[in-house]
Amino acid sequence: MMDYSQAFEISASGMTVEKLRIDVTAVNIANMHSTAAADGTLFRPLRVISRSSLPVFASQFEDGAGEAVYKLRGAQIHAVQELDVPPRSVYEPGNPGADDKGFVALPGVDHVSEMVTLVVALRAYEANVAAMNAARTMAMKALEVGGNQ
Amino acid sequence: MIDEIDSATMGVLRLALDAASLRHRVIAHNVANTNTDGYTPLRVSFEEQFDAVRSALGRPEPVDRGLLEGPRPVISQDAPLDGASARVELDMEIAKLAQNTVHYQALLRGVSKHLSILGIAVTEGKR
Repeated sequence: MMDYSQAFEISASGMTVEKLRIDVTAVNIANMHSTAAADGTLFRPLRVISRSSLPVFASQFEDGAGEAVYKLRGAQIHAVQELDVPPRSVYEPGNPGADDKGFVALPGVDHVSEMVTLVVALRAYEANVAAMNAARTMAMKALEVGGNQ
Repeated sequence: MIDEIDSATMGVLRLALDAASLRHRVIAHNVANTNTDGYTPLRVSFEEQFDAVRSALGRPEPVDRGLLEGPRPVISQDAPLDGASARVELDMEIAKLAQNTVHYQALLRGVSKHLSILGIAVTEGKR
């Protein structure tokens, strides 16, 4: 039997992960030029670590008295990790956050890799939407069985 | 059950619809894990198990329904050719997704047609 809710859940889990990836990229880019906060901590670029929510490959179990049912739940967020990258030093003597030599520490956000992550996550999100639309098409067609011939 | 209604055709169609449904979920799972590091794509093997049924189709007598007890859709991990860990190829997954959707619809058409043949028998050929 086609378990539609499961198909939608799988695609939704992928969309959740990719949306967080895009959000985190936006946070990184937004804080590209943020100087240290009042307590002296500097923003560090974040990265989303996702994992498959099928921890053991053979995690199929008996569903009631019927046959073995495969349980697939798509992707899940494992962690949002702070990247350990050295800060950039920019010479800005007028900046209130500058040290006595006139250098300001800015987060070491890699602009290019953030943009690449953004595009990759966007495409992956679209692919999840495509999978969900396919599930919907299949469900709608199944409703037409036995209709007017 | 009446032999015509619970026929081998319906049995095969039911199995194949289950397989297509499972394949859809597996593809959706692969797509959801596109950006997961170290993820190995999953595959469904089903059609390969139909050799016995295919050879039975070549013989004149009706297909034994017991042959349909064997084939079941099975999930396996994608085995990479070069020994390196396989990755999710997004374009290939979407292509498989489109193919599977069409395949599922074709199977549903098969169910409809089979039922409409029964309908002809019920209405004695009249409309």
